[in-house]
Order: sequence, then structure tokens, then C-alpha cells
Amino acid sequence: MRIVVCIKQVPATHDASIDPETKRIVREGVKAILNPFDTYAVEEGVLLRERLGGEVVVLSMGPPKAEAVLREAVSQGADRAVLLSHRAFGGSDTWATSYALACAIRTLGGADLVICGKQAVDGDTAQVGPGIAAHLGWPQATHVMQIRSANPGSIVAVRMHEDGYDVCELSLPVVITVVKDINQPRIPTLRSSLASRKINIPVWTPDMIAADTARIGLDGSPTRVVKTEPPPPRQNASCRIEGPPAVCAAALVRELRIRNLV
Amino acid sequence: MKQHIANHIYHVEILPPKQDSEKLDADLQTFAEKYQRVLDSDYCICLTDNAMGHLSFQGTEMIQELGLPVKPEQVMIHLNTFHTKANLDEILHACIEKGIRDLLVVTGDGSDRLPKLHPADIGAAGVESVTSVELLRYIGQAHPGAFNLGVAFNPYEPEEHEFTKLDRKIAAGAMFIITQPVIARNAVVDKLLATCPLPVALEAWMSKKLHLLSQAVGYEIPENTVFDPIETLRLLHRTYPQCGMYLSLLGFKTQYHLLTDTWVS
Repeated sequence: MRIVVCIKQVPATHDASIDPETKRIVREGVKAILNPFDTYAVEEGVLLRERLGGEVVVLSMGPPKAEAVLREAVSQGADRAVLLSHRAFGGSDTWATSYALACAIRTLGGADLVICGKQAVDGDTAQVGPGIAAHLGWPQATHVMQIRSANPGSIVAVRMHEDGYDVCELSLPVVITVVKDINQPRIPTLRSSLASRKINIPVWTPDMIAADTARIGLDGSPTRVVKTEPPPPRQNASCRIEGPPAVCAAALVRELRIRNLV
Repeated sequence: MKQHIANHIYHVEILPPKQDSEKLDADLQTFAEKYQRVLDSDYCICLTDNAMGHLSFQGTEMIQELGLPVKPEQVMIHLNTFHTKANLDEILHACIEKGIRDLLVVTGDGSDRLPKLHPADIGAAGVESVTSVELLRYIGQAHPGAFNLGVAFNPYEPEEHEFTKLDRKIAAGAMFIITQPVIARNAVVDKLLATCPLPVALEAWMSKKLHLLSQAVGYEIPENTVFDPIETLRLLHRTYPQCGMYLSLLGFKTQYHLLTDTWVS
């Protein structure tokens, strides 16, 4: 089974700011990390490969320094990595980005399964995964919290909703996006981290993936960011624990432990 | 630990490099140099386990991958509850293979990215989450006699609670104690030494930035507080001659050479 995991380098959220002129995220001088949701996508790809065999290819589009997150994904267990990087890709919106990634997947020779994180924490659009499926003409399942079974022809995925979940069987090839509930990503070892620094990561340009340059970059992007505003203040969820002190204390400790806070 | 105290062997904390280090090669080299220096000084190297919840490389893998020598009496590994069972067993086996016997077993600090042991993983019944107590018990049962197990003691926690917790840790197999940082005579430490038969090492805060201790001690220490770590270390030796010393945040360039004449009988 060939599994392609699409990942993104994002600014560490606590460092991020918005350029008031361009309305874009300021990335210069900001610590860059692997999009947290993508670590779950990589882990799920590696878990499936461990069960079913095959290979996990990680794919990213970005500036040359995005190579760092590809190496991180390899240290987490992916077999190889490809970076799409060229000036012509610059300014791509989610539609153009998903088009370029779809072209790269075709260039790889296709895939049985494409896995993306639910969304990137910089744009928060959750559009690239579905966009890839649209460009490839494949079925998709978003917000997957479990792959209940998988075989060379299909998977059974459990999708999370606000009020529950649904179970769907999907024929391969398919694109899925995953949420954090799906697994516990492994921590790279020093050995795998050092090994990941030695692998060759090919850099693909638009012509190498047979991408139509009119469909990538700023000019190929049908959407524009016209305004950026901070979201309304979050309504902090709170819960009241009632009962005798000992019961309350036990319940409080339980809640804190569930959140790994104590 | 008793031999360490009798022989004036300092416990020197070294933090393995963080996973997201942007200068890993340099960090690995610095780590190896510090490790070798402590080893050559005949002190005990203490390797932390994802301290403060920051994702770092494991002490045992640092030793293995960097090919660092191990003198069994001179290496202590911290071990907390934020591991998968497989990873926990891997660390324990690596310690046994390298002859490392001293483990400091703590509950530890978690983070989103770190897994957490589940009670069922280590056969802990009747608890909702794994603490150092369950981890101690597991290590003792899985590898009887293989390790000297140490535990933490926090003199800044509510006293009764902390002593009750210590009793549980001792019942689960604790063999020595390392305190949270102490910077002067402390009534709770006095009580600990008067009532507990286990050997105790005091954590000596070796950073000049005393205010960083505010959270640990539970009260605000002003940022401009003047603090002399070496003088405080000497004071601790005079005040608690029966204790070992665990040096955290030690300056290898500025302080290390001063240690030779701080522990005098």
C-alpha cells in the first residue's frame, strides 16, 4: 500500500502574527514547526504501513526550509519525502495548493491512501485535504478519528462530529483528514532523528509535476484574503463540581489527570 | 546513595537536548562533554526525562547513540510516567544492559505530545492514573533487585500530604530521596531527616536566577534577588552534613571548577 501524507510547516502559534498590510501570517523570524495535526497523520500512515506493508511518502509544499518538517516526519517513521518548492508556488491559496499536491501525487505514481491533518493551525481552513480529493476525483472522509479496518481495497473509517460519529466504508484510493483522537504519535528517537538528516529529499518544481502554472501561485488562486480579524473571545468552558469535599477533590484530580496536568 | 554521601559524590543534573533543537550537533557535543566531565570528576551524572514536559531525547538513548561510557555507580536516570509501556520497558532494559542501577522515579510533567502510562499497562489496579507510586511498584516487580529506586520530596507542598505521599512511595520500594531545591535550613526538611530512615540528597539550585524558583516554592521571589549559589551550597553542606547534594542548573563554565573545595567535612 502506498500512503502519501501531506504535511505543512507552520509558525509556532505562540509566535504568530498577522501583517496588517497583506493580511497574511508573518513567517519571517518566527519559529517554524510541523503542523501539530500532521503528526497524527504521519503516525496513522506509519501504523497502517506497519500493519499492511508498503511505504509512507511525506509531501509538503513550501520554501526550502520546509524540508525540516519533512525530515521530522521521516524521523517519525515515514520512508521518504518530497518537497514542492519554487517561486511559482508562492502565494497559492488552498485550491491552488491542493492542485499542486494532487499533481505531485500523480507524479509519484498515485497512492492508495492520502492522509492529511484535519487542518493547519496557521490558516485553519481545513480545505486542502478535501481539495486534493476534488482534484484527484477521489472519495474523501474528513475528521477521521479511527480507521477501524483496512485492507488493500478499502478502509472503514470512523468520522467525528460535534454530536457523535459515523462509520463509513471507502474504496481505495481515498483521501482522509484526521483528528487528534486517532492515535498517539510516537516520539522520534535520537537514532531516527540523526538518520532522517541524511536522507535525500528531492525538490520538485511545477514542470516536474506537470502542473499548469496558470493554476498555481497567486495568479492561480481564486480566493483572496480581504480582511483578517481576531475571533470573538472564546467562551471558556467551565464545569462545576458539586458534592462533599472529598468527592469534589477526587473529581477535580480526575479531570486534571485526564488532561495530563497532574 | 549512602556511598555517594559518604564519599562526597555530587549528583550533577544534565538535560539531554530537546527534540526541536535547531543546533542538534552542537547540543549533542555539549552534552557529551558535560557527561564526560562529570564522569571524570567521579561525580554522579543525573539525566532528566523530558523535564518540564519539554520533548527531549532520552538519557539512555543518548548514552547508546553517542557511545558514552557508563560507570554504574555514576549514572542516574530520571524516569517519569509519560511514556508508552513499550518505551518504558525499553528504557529499563537499556539501563540493565548498561549496568545503570540508580533511577529517580517521578510522576513528571506531561504535555500534549507525550504519551501517558495507563494503569492497566503496568498492572496497577484501583487507580485512575499512574503516579510515581505505581511506577515504583511496577519497576520493583518487573525487575526485582535490579535498581536503586529514588523518589522526589517537595518540602513546599502541604506537609501532611507530602509525608503521606512519601510513605506510599517508601511502601512501593523507594530507597533514597531527592528534594526540591532547598536554599537554607528548612523545617520540613529537618522533619524529613529526623523521621525518615532513607538517605536524602538536597537539590541545590545552582542558577543565580533565584526568581525562577518562585513556582516551585509557592511564593514570589523578586527577579532582582541577589543569590550566590556556591555560597548557598556551602551553607547547605554545613547545615545538612548528613545529606547528599543534587546540583541543578550548574554552570559548567563558571561554577564547575569551584566544586572541588565546597564539600568539606
